[in-house]
Amino acid sequence: MNGELYLSRAKTRKYFIAAVLLFVLQMILGLLMSIQMVSRNTNLLFPFDIYKALHLNLMILWILLGFIGGLYYLLPGEVGRDIKHPRMIDFQFWFLILSGVGIIISEFFFTGANWWLVEGREYVEAGRFWDILLTIGLLTVVYNVGATVVGRKKEMSSPMIVLAWGAVGSILMYIPGEIWFNSLVAAEYFRWWVVHYWVEATFELIAAGIIALVLLSMTDVKRGIIEKYLAIEVALILLTGIIGQGHHYFWIGTPGFWLFLGGLFSALEPVPLFLMVWSAYKDLKENRKPIPNKVALYMIIGAALGNVLGAGVWGFMHTLPQVNFFTHGTQITASHAHFATPGTYLLLVLGIAYIAVPELAGKFSFSQYRGRIGFWVLVLGFMNMIIALVIAGIIQVYQQRMQGVSFMAVQNMLLPFYGWRTIGGVIALVGGIIVAYDLIVLSRPNTGGFIDETKEVKR
Amino acid sequence: MNNTKLMIIGLLVPALLLIPFSIISFYTDFANKNPDPLQVTVSFNGKNYDAVEGKKAFEQYQCMDCHTIVGNGAYFAPDLTRVYKRTGGNGASLAGIIQSGFPSKGMPPMRDRGMGNEDAYRLVAFLKYTDMLDTNGWPNNGSWDRDGGLDGTAAENIRPMGIWQVVAGIVFFNLIIFALVLAYERAKVGNKT
Ligand code: HEC
Ligand code: HEM
Ligand code: HEM
Ligand SMILES: [Fe+2]
Repeated sequence: MNGELYLSRAKTRKYFIAAVLLFVLQMILGLLMSIQMVSRNTNLLFPFDIYKALHLNLMILWILLGFIGGLYYLLPGEVGRDIKHPRMIDFQFWFLILSGVGIIISEFFFTGANWWLVEGREYVEAGRFWDILLTIGLLTVVYNVGATVVGRKKEMSSPMIVLAWGAVGSILMYIPGEIWFNSLVAAEYFRWWVVHYWVEATFELIAAGIIALVLLSMTDVKRGIIEKYLAIEVALILLTGIIGQGHHYFWIGTPGFWLFLGGLFSALEPVPLFLMVWSAYKDLKENRKPIPNKVALYMIIGAALGNVLGAGVWGFMHTLPQVNFFTHGTQITASHAHFATPGTYLLLVLGIAYIAVPELAGKFSFSQYRGRIGFWVLVLGFMNMIIALVIAGIIQVYQQRMQGVSFMAVQNMLLPFYGWRTIGGVIALVGGIIVAYDLIVLSRPNTGGFIDETKEVKR
Repeated sequence: MNNTKLMIIGLLVPALLLIPFSIISFYTDFANKNPDPLQVTVSFNGKNYDAVEGKKAFEQYQCMDCHTIVGNGAYFAPDLTRVYKRTGGNGASLAGIIQSGFPSKGMPPMRDRGMGNEDAYRLVAFLKYTDMLDTNGWPNNGSWDRDGGLDGTAAENIRPMGIWQVVAGIVFFNLIIFALVLAYERAKVGNKT
C-alpha cells in the first residue's frame, strides 16, 4: 500500500497463497460432510467427525495465516522499518504448515487412539501436543511483531495499532481453551473464550483496523474522521462483545444471570457492525480519488456487509435467550456460522490477499475480471447455503423442539434442504477455485494477468 | 474524548466486570448448581468409573464432532446431554450402544476406534453427569431432546420427489440473486460512461 520497499514483504506472499489453497481444501471437506448428511449410509472413507474437525481446524489455520501474513505485510510501512527478524517469517510459515499437516494426519489415523494427538473438542480438536507446538509458534509471532514495533521509526497510525492488538489478542486467546478442567461446565466456559473472543472481539478488531487502513490508503477522506469512527467502533465492539460472551453461557450449566447479561449485551453487538458499514459507505461516497484495485474493494466492502448481515442480523436472530432456548444447537446455528464466518473473515483475508499479492508481483494494474466473477460466484453459493440451512433450522426447531419428533425423523424431513445446501456448496467451491486460481496467476511476476486499462475507466 | 482513552475504557470496563461474573460462575458450578464430576460414578463388574475419566474419553473419541453436548458441537447426531435419561438410566445398554454405534445412520462402531469396555463405562459415567447438570431448563419440556426415548427411526436417503419439491425454489432463488448482481454491475458501468 505504501510505496516504500521492505525486503521482508516478499516473504508474505506464501502466506496468502497457502491461505486460499487451504480454504479450497476446507470447502471440499465441507462438501464431503454435506454429502454424508444427504446420504448417511454412504461410506466416504472417514466418518463425519473427522471431516468436521478438519473443516474447522483448517479454517482456523488459514484465517491465522491470512492475518499473520497481512500483519507482516502492512507493519513495515507503518513503523518505518523492516520486520525485526525477517527469517522468522519463513520459519513461522513452515512451522504452521507442518503443524497443519500433523493435525491432518492425527485426525485421520489417531482419532480415539491418543488424547495427546486428538482432543476432539469442537474448534480445539488438535490434541495437546499440537496445541503446545502451535502456541509456541504463535507466541514467536507476537515476539517478532513486538520487537518490530519497539524499534519503530515513526508513530503507528491508530488502525495499525488496533490491527496489531487484534492479532496479538487472537494468539493469546488460544491459551485459555487449552486449560484442563474436570468439570464440563468450566471446560466449555473457557472453550468459548477461544471461539467467541476470536470472532466477536479480536478478529473483529482486525476487521475494523483493516477496513480503516484500506479506506485511509484508497480514499481521500480526512484521517481524523476515519480514526474517530474507528475508536468508537473498537470501544463498542469490546464493550458489547466481552460481556456478550454470555450468549454462550445460557444453557451450559452456568448461573441464570447470564441470561440477562448475555441477552442484553449480545443484542447490542450489531451496533458497532452497523457503524462500520455506515462509515465505510459515507467515506466512499465522499471520496473523489479513483480506486484502481476494485477486487480488493469488493472483498473489503463485502466483508463489512457480510459482517452486518451474517453476524449482526443472523446473530441477533437467535441471540435473545427466549429464542436461543429453542434454536440452540440446531441448523439455525449452522446457517449463522456459514453467513458470519465466510461473509466476514473469508472476504477479509481475500481482500488483504488481493491488495498484497498483485503488489508483491509488481502488478499495479491488472485484469480484475476473474476476481470479480469469483467474488460473485462465492456470494451466490453461500447465499444458497445460508437460506437452505435457515429453512432447515426452522423446520428442525418446530418439529424436534416443539413437537417432540425424534432426531432422525426430523433429519429425514430435512434431506431436500441438505441437498440444496450441497448445491450451494458446489457453487461456492467453484467460486473459491476461481479466486484461488486468479491469486496464483497474479502472484507470478510478469506472466498472466494482462494489463487492461480500458476496463478501469476512472469515475 | 481522546481516541486511545476511549478504546482503553471500552476494553477495561467489561474485562474488569467479567472477573466477578466468572468467579460466581465457577463458585456455583462447584458449590451447589452442578454435581462434582469426581463424585459421579457408575459401577460395572464391581469396579467404579467416574465422570472425569469419562470426559477425557468423550474428548478422545471425538463424540462432539457429530453430536452436541449442552447444545455445543455438531448437528449430525442428537444432543447427548440428556441421553442417559432417554435410555431410562440403563448404563449397560448405553455402553453397548456406544461400542456398536449405528453404522447405517453414520455412527461408526466405537470398537473400531479401539474402544474397550472400560472406556465405554467411563463414557456412561460422563453422560450420567451431564444428565445431572442444571442447564437452566434447556432442552425444553416437550422437546425430543429431553423427553424422547432412544431413536428407533432409520435414516432415509433423499428421494427424487423431495428433490423436485425444492428444485423450483432453488432455480427461482438463484435467478433473483443473479438478476440483482447483474443489475448492480450494469448500473456501475452506466455510471462510468
Ligand atoms: C461419526 C459421527 C458420530 C460419532 C463420532 C459419534 N456418534 Fe453417536 N450417533 C451418531 C449417529 C448418526 C447416531 C444416530 C442418531 C439417531 O438415531 O437419532 C448416534 C447415536 C448415538 C446414541 C443414541 C442416541 C439416541 O438418543 O438415540 C448415543 C448414546 C451415542 N450416539 C453416543 C455417542 C458417544 C458417546 C460418542 C463418542 C464416543 C459418539 N456417539 C460418537 C453419530 C456419531
Ligand atoms: C463476525 C462475527 C461472528 C462470527 C464469525 C460468528 C460465528 C459463529 C459461529 C461459528 C457460531 C457457532 C458456534 C458453534 O459451533 O456452536 C456462532 C454461534 C452463535 N453466534 Fe455468532 N458469530 C459472529 C457474531 C455474532 C453476533 C454479533 C451475534 C449476536 C448478535 C452472534 C450470536 C451467536 C449466537 C447466539 C450463537 C450461539 C448459537 C447456539 O446457541 O447454538 N454471533 N457464531
Ligand atoms: C463448500 C462450502 C462449505 C460446505 C459445503 C460446508 C459444510 C459444512 C458442514 C456440513 C458443517 C457441519 C455442520 C454440522 O455440524 O452439522 C459445517 C460446519 C462449519 N463450517 Fe462449513 N462448509 C463450507 C464452507 C465453509 C467456510 C468457507 C467456512 C468459513 C470460512 C465454514 C465454516 C464453518 C463453521 C464455523 C462450522 C461450524 C458450525 C457450527 O458448529 O455451528 N464453512 N460446514
Ligand atoms: Fe458469540
